Amino acid sequence: MPKSDYKNMWVSVEHDGTSAASVGLELCCELRRLCDRTGDRLYAVLIGPLPEAEIQKIADCGVDGILTVRGTGYDFPNIDAWTNAFTVLCRRYRPSAVFVGGTVFGRDFAPRFAIRLNTGCTSDAMQLDWDPETTDIQFIEPAVGGKIMAVITVPELRPQIGTVRPGTFRYAPTGKRPALERIDELIDFDPAAIRVRPLRFTPDENDPELDLSDADCIVCVGNGLKDSEHLERYRTLARLLGGKIGCTRPLYDRGILPYKLQIGQSGVMVKTKLYISFGVSGAVNHTAGVDADVFVAVDRNPDAQIFSYCDYGIVGDMDEVCDELIAQLRAKMAASV
Amino acid sequence: MLKILVCVKQIPDVDLVKMDPETGNLVRAGVPTLTNPLDLNALEAAVRTKERCGGRITLITMGPPAAEETLRECLAVGGDEAVLITGRPFGGADTLSTSYTIVKAAEALGKFDLIFCGKESLDGATGQMASQLAERFDAAQISCCLTIEDIAEGRIRAVRALETGRETVEATLPCLLTVEKDNFYGRLPSLGAYLAAKTAPITVFDETSLPGLDPARIGVPGSGTVVPKIYPPELPEPGQIIRTGSVKTDVGRLVSLLAEKDVI
Ligand SMILES: Cc1cc2nc3c(=O)[nH]c(=O)nc-3n(C[C@H](O)[C@H](O)[C@H](O)COP(=O)(O)OP(=O)(O)OC[C@H]3O[C@@H](n4cnc5c(N)ncnc54)[C@H](O)[C@@H]3O)c2cc1C
Ligand SMILES: Nc1ncnc2c1ncn2[C@@H]1O[C@H](COP(=O)(O)O)[C@@H](O)[C@H]1O
Repeated sequence: MPKSDYKNMWVSVEHDGTSAASVGLELCCELRRLCDRTGDRLYAVLIGPLPEAEIQKIADCGVDGILTVRGTGYDFPNIDAWTNAFTVLCRRYRPSAVFVGGTVFGRDFAPRFAIRLNTGCTSDAMQLDWDPETTDIQFIEPAVGGKIMAVITVPELRPQIGTVRPGTFRYAPTGKRPALERIDELIDFDPAAIRVRPLRFTPDENDPELDLSDADCIVCVGNGLKDSEHLERYRTLARLLGGKIGCTRPLYDRGILPYKLQIGQSGVMVKTKLYISFGVSGAVNHTAGVDADVFVAVDRNPDAQIFSYCDYGIVGDMDEVCDELIAQLRAKMAASV
Repeated sequence: MLKILVCVKQIPDVDLVKMDPETGNLVRAGVPTLTNPLDLNALEAAVRTKERCGGRITLITMGPPAAEETLRECLAVGGDEAVLITGRPFGGADTLSTSYTIVKAAEALGKFDLIFCGKESLDGATGQMASQLAERFDAAQISCCLTIEDIAEGRIRAVRALETGRETVEATLPCLLTVEKDNFYGRLPSLGAYLAAKTAPITVFDETSLPGLDPARIGVPGSGTVVPKIYPPELPEPGQIIRTGSVKTDVGRLVSLLAEKDVI
């Protein structure tokens, strides 16, 4: 079938029956802009019912329609029923593209239905573009450790499938469309054919230090850190600024800080008021995850790429600058009491 | 006896690699290589499983002839047999065609109960090969595994890491697992094993010796994705660098600038 026979773009909106996952909404907002260019209609695809208020939230992101799947097999998230549902739906409706939030679950099932449909799948795009000549979506992402940006396309096969990490795109709803199309589909999946069953779930202890999503200030420590003994001063600085500590991937790799504090393309995406990096070289894999009102960089290498991303930069030894910053902030506080 | 497959990949040192601006493929020639670190964690999980339950570990890789080094490194840690899929026509493959090729080769070796993969490779880094292999093996999948609790009677029980907590799951075999590295730090081989691995036989498949291979589904022709363009990341305009020659004055300037911006 020629690719011109495939129309419209879909976003799989993951949800827990009560609320839609933010990455689904972010994707709807981003794809609204893309569909305005391509002329495709944008559909949110939901497996299982969602309260009307949440449906309205999705509608606010400017989707043209909402397709809801009901049937057996969807009592708990499972790859088998979801893979089947998307395979059946794609064969029935022939969307040109399907986007799936890059959660653990999304990253598990999206590549699988790509195989069933024998089509191309990309992961972790940071930007989406469209080529009117080929009508292909351009999935753009850093490659080779961030030295290069790669444009990836699915030139022949359809649908074009992509998983996108939470926080990559902004939740910026442009408002409801005048008429929202509603489609209901019944797709039963035999629950006995579900191969992985959850037995127990233990929520992680709610350690606020490990949640960077609400931090107004982040002190990001990079590979310039000598060892974990040198870390304490950065914690002190973060505390003084009412912020939290984050890190680059090498610090997680070195076992110094936990994965939840890794900021960037394969870690968490953060949005914050003040971001101060120490000993971070500025690979796009890292900076792509940072959205800061004010970005400060400290590095001893004057040519470090990080200085291209900062508002203010200090060239110097990270520990020295940190200690001095702590001293001056303390003095400033003492003075203002 | 459990039949265990571990998928390992030799990768170029990304710090030294370049991309071919014509094809968009990685230029590996002359660049030092290593075994994808997360694959060593997958291997460790496989070796521990074998130690506990018995079994036989098959290592498989698709890559250039030099990928044999990765197989030998892994054999020394704990593989019973190793398979290399190599040949020009396999080159430039994306995950659609790589997963097809690996599963074709594995099928030629028999049926596997457990398949272990790295969470992602540091060069390709799609993190989607595991799911695609699982689909082609028609296997269950447990990703981000923290501990394997039990394997018995065609079932596996394991704990995995989700975004907000830990989930204990039970799956049927065959099952593919990816593991979290923190719980599966790799071990060093003994000298004896290291030496034995140097000369151990390795099964090699190429495009002519793999039974039932569809040439249209391997390498570039079998790929769903292409890289039509690469470009250097655009750097934003550099910020204001404060460099007065004294840390004290630099920091003083910064503090007043931040105070002006009302962020401290
Ligand atoms: C697929 C993929 C995904 C990735 N995802 C992420 C991600 O999510 N997050 C992430 O962070 N990285 C990620 N990376 C890694 C990324 O490419 C970089 O390797 C990493 O961000 C570098 O971290 P860094 O800047 O801390 O370390 P380095 O690049 O090693 O830089 C250290 C810096 O510290 C400076 N320095 C050293 N000593 C001192 C000192 N005493 N005082 C001051 N400065 C000093 C040096 O000048 C240098 O600029 C990813 C890579 C790949 C391939
Ligand atoms: N060429 C290959 N040969 C064998 N295994 C591979 C190959 N490419 C990827 N894998 C496996 O798939 C995992 C994920 O790779 P990727 O999807 O490239 O991030 C790796 O950690 C390996 O276990």
